[in-house]
Amino acid sequence: MQSNNYYLPHDQEVNIFSLAAQKQLPVLIKGPTGCGKTRFVEYMAEKLNRPVHTIACHDDLTATDLVGRYLIGPEGTYWQDGPLTRAVKEGGICYLDEVVEARKDTTVVLHPLSDHRRVLSISQTGETIKAHEDFMLVISYNPGYQNVLKGLKPSTRQRFVAMRFDYQAPEKEVVIVCQESGVQKQIAQQLVALANDLRRLKDHDIEEAASTRLLIYTAMMVHAGMPIKDACVACLAEPVSDDTETLAVIEKLIDSYFAS
Amino acid sequence: MEALIGKVWHRWVSQHAVETHVSAQVNLLDLKQQLTLFYRGVGGDAGKMIVPAQSRNLNNTRRLIQRIAGTNQKHSVSWQDEETINLPAYINFFPDSSLNKALYFWLTALAAKLPVVQHWFADNQRACVELLQQRPGLKKVYQQLVLASIDQRLPLRDLQSNEILREQAIRKALADPGSVADLPQAKGEPQPVCLWLYSAPLRAVSVKADDKLEQAAHSTGSKSELVDSRKQAKRIDDSKQTDGLLIFQAESLSSWSEQVELDRCQEEDLDDDLQKAVEDLDIVTLSRQRRAGSAKIKFDLDLPAAQNDDLPLGEGILLPEWDYRKSSLTKDYCLLQPMLADQMVPVPLPEHLKLVANTLKKRFCLLQSQRSWHKHQSFGEEIDMDAWLRIVTQPVQDINRQDYYRSRLNRQRDVACLLLADLSMSTDAMITEQRCIIDVIKDTLLLFAEALNDAGDPFGIYGFSSVKNTQVRYHILKNFTEPYNDVTRGRITATRAGFYTRMGAAIRQSAEILKLQQSTQRLLMVVSDGKPNDIDQYEGRYGIEDTRHAILEAKQQGLQPFCVTIDDRASDYLPYLFGDKGFVIVNDVAKLPQILPRLYLKLTTANN
Repeated sequence: MQSNNYYLPHDQEVNIFSLAAQKQLPVLIKGPTGCGKTRFVEYMAEKLNRPVHTIACHDDLTATDLVGRYLIGPEGTYWQDGPLTRAVKEGGICYLDEVVEARKDTTVVLHPLSDHRRVLSISQTGETIKAHEDFMLVISYNPGYQNVLKGLKPSTRQRFVAMRFDYQAPEKEVVIVCQESGVQKQIAQQLVALANDLRRLKDHDIEEAASTRLLIYTAMMVHAGMPIKDACVACLAEPVSDDTETLAVIEKLIDSYFAS
Repeated sequence: MEALIGKVWHRWVSQHAVETHVSAQVNLLDLKQQLTLFYRGVGGDAGKMIVPAQSRNLNNTRRLIQRIAGTNQKHSVSWQDEETINLPAYINFFPDSSLNKALYFWLTALAAKLPVVQHWFADNQRACVELLQQRPGLKKVYQQLVLASIDQRLPLRDLQSNEILREQAIRKALADPGSVADLPQAKGEPQPVCLWLYSAPLRAVSVKADDKLEQAAHSTGSKSELVDSRKQAKRIDDSKQTDGLLIFQAESLSSWSEQVELDRCQEEDLDDDLQKAVEDLDIVTLSRQRRAGSAKIKFDLDLPAAQNDDLPLGEGILLPEWDYRKSSLTKDYCLLQPMLADQMVPVPLPEHLKLVANTLKKRFCLLQSQRSWHKHQSFGEEIDMDAWLRIVTQPVQDINRQDYYRSRLNRQRDVACLLLADLSMSTDAMITEQRCIIDVIKDTLLLFAEALNDAGDPFGIYGFSSVKNTQVRYHILKNFTEPYNDVTRGRITATRAGFYTRMGAAIRQSAEILKLQQSTQRLLMVVSDGKPNDIDQYEGRYGIEDTRHAILEAKQQGLQPFCVTIDDRASDYLPYLFGDKGFVIVNDVAKLPQILPRLYLKLTTANN
């Protein structure tokens, strides 16, 4: 099958993911914002020919939101499956994005699904569902994000085959930026160099580094005809910091590549 | 009259000899923060500090008028060593201030590209070529800088034979970097090139202090132990203790002017003459020998006598220290001594703080009654739909369960805070005629404690100072379990400023204590007045890197470090230590007592 999704592997992740899928093992993906975690999962889903159920976790997401709940209809209450239950029943990849953001009670449903039992027990209905053989649990989180207080518990992480993503090596990132946005290679090269300058400021001067996603946005804006310096300010500088001093310096860095 | 004429003449001749553009001057201090950030961005070593460079004597050709005026001999050229980047304190070469500013950024970018200058002429050209290739946006500004700086150089007609060749080579190398391989030889040194970096001066070679306390403790005073084999370059060898006034050769007299016995390790008791001598000297050679000539009896004048000191608790705790040069933790390197002020008198809250304390108390009381919605309550204002549905759909309905209400209840606060105060000697500085920084810090601690006591959050207060790695003094002012009362107030009031700031060890110990608290949010607040420093190698980059490492360790353990400082230059190093949202600089010291509790509120309510 011809893939619609473009994906350039970092390392062995395609192989690892395929084997894990074959052996029905859950997968954990770690990596900074916008480095291609979601893209990878979508690509793999397509490659393995399985549907993907993506759930973006937030700090109010409870086990009920995953499993399902009773709703009130014209004829009284009825049960509505949650996305996790649907994936368990129908098969497919259930992708929990930024799982550390979710409430702690979600781990209760995830644990029996992520070990050899592969079952989902729904307390409200009293059901225990055996997972479809194509069901695969994938979770992701950003280790540097916000604070360490929200890290995964060891008992959770030790149930997963884990892999760590980072921003691609500059040469590869150039290829990705060209591919996604259609800009010329030379511009892509300088954008990537600029992004790497900004990544060096992470942890002390800015909270989160400029992601590949932002880089692609910038390149897309340039491709659409925006002056390159303005595109950099709008897509690379302003999104990463609010501090005027820091922004002034980022502008200097932009100038060092693309002087007006 | 003669003096007046002399003054007028000096002013007139200096003005004509020096070509500067004062109105377009750009100061390093104003740009330092941006430059530090820029340096990290262009790939420089994150721990390095940008500092103003001292001017250097260069033996270059000068114009007649410059020679008459006695100017243009000292130049502040840019250079770097492994800890600092030295840039001119101000730049006013060019009539356009934007060019002067651009020169600062250019030099910073070059410094990141060229960490060590070995061959001044070749290395600078190579670095320029690389920089311009990687960052084509710099080309335009570089060309402007080159044109402007060539304009400022001595015209070729003022130079002689070989000097002309050399000057031409430099100009060509500037205009087209990488095009000239060798610098033609000529008399003296070439005129300084403001766009290039210079090598670190020889006398700046750092020499490790050779009187660590461990050595002092075991030293039998034998000469062999004191000779330091690591001394390099132009450091004077003052370690031989037999050298006396009587043994010298007549020709060494001329060098006497350069050696002034300055014991920097002692307090600043320099009289005016020495101060003046330092200003006049070109090279100040610092001796690291703390023990003066004949001292053979060992006692530490820095430390108070045991009977006047606080009570040391236990044998002390061994803690590691991070050595950035080795990238490793030196195990058991620091001895931290917990101390308790046992001779203090219990005191009530001082009168002048009572009013502020009351206002704070009112605000903090509100913390306890902060409310939020709670689900599954047996009583409440609204029906909890989720709970109701769950009960209705249960196969077996339990009539006794009626927890289907939502209610607004007081929120449980789950915050523990450890306040760590810097009690080093620098806090003894006066801010007004009657009050020192330490007084303000004491007030801050007292008010903070009053406020937290009312909020009901568990908190501990500790203070620290240090004398090298073997005595990091860690004062217990209030333990987490202790109630806050007149005794703790007495301890806080009895604190005294003294010694130095070995911040890394103090943070490590505080993290150990805070780790034991069960709260979800654990805040480690550091109140400081300056950079980490101590009298051994713990200064500059070493101290900063160690502190940073200690903070990272704390973060890894799930603690939240935060720094409140009154050092207005702290923005140079604090982002590197605590991260961009991990510190606050208080400009007005007197406001610190009011600001700190407010900050605490902000930090602890934002995350909940």
